[in-house]
Amino acid sequence: MKLLKFAVIGAVIALTGCAASGPKFSAMQASTPAVNADQGRVYFYRKDSMFGAALQPAVVMDGAEVGKSQPGGYFYVDAASGSHEASTSTEATNKVSFVLEKGEVKYVRTAPSIGLLVGRVVPELVNADEANKELNDLSYTGKAK
Amino acid sequence: MPILLRNLLKSIFLSAVLCACAVQQTATLISLVPVEDSAAVTLSSPLELQLRTGYHRTLKQGSSWTRIGSVPQGDVYKPYRDVFTIEGAHVHEAYLVVDKGMLVGFYLPAERGYADLGQRKPIFFQ
Repeated sequence: MKLLKFAVIGAVIALTGCAASGPKFSAMQASTPAVNADQGRVYFYRKDSMFGAALQPAVVMDGAEVGKSQPGGYFYVDAASGSHEASTSTEATNKVSFVLEKGEVKYVRTAPSIGLLVGRVVPELVNADEANKELNDLSYTGKAK
Repeated sequence: MPILLRNLLKSIFLSAVLCACAVQQTATLISLVPVEDSAAVTLSSPLELQLRTGYHRTLKQGSSWTRIGSVPQGDVYKPYRDVFTIEGAHVHEAYLVVDKGMLVGFYLPAERGYADLGQRKPIFFQ
């Protein structure tokens, strides 16, 4: 039993790490370009939390790496309208599929969850109202502008 | 065994079980026939859904939906200024499919597939 306790405590410690740093969403808004008329935009973000913070997998969209799931961080990707799939991989691959219309903005939140060995980071679609509240204090981790 | 540890082990077990079940959908692509009239309707009462994958979803009372078209299984309602997903091994954006006042399944726009609910649940819009 003691061993199990230590294993759990060790896992929690191992899963903690550093949060993203960079300009905040609120400060970035003015310099963020509008979405092209023939494209849509997907915001990827992760709330700032110590839980699972060491798990920072790449975010893959339609087979290409587009960023990293970092606690307290966000970035966005502009893409053609149509079907898309985003995924993160740790001990398993978790995917979310969605459609993007021209001019539409979608939000994908990645969140750590308990897995069998090291935990998972799960992407999920979030509505705009909820996402905008959560994004406000997050830091931009996309390409430098 | 401490409650916290017991819950943790339960969560791990549940996670392993739930992650194994993929959303079952039609093998062939479904054609959505769009409609012109797309006024939003409101759900009159909440609806609790037990998905075949083991996950739950709640359709909130007062949530707004727009009928965007139909598929062979029924009329398709898209959430109005919101998102709805169903979950199995992965998460899929989903729209409701309603046949004669009964929720029968989900249209998966990204896959152009249909996932059956496994039961017919009365659904009331106003």
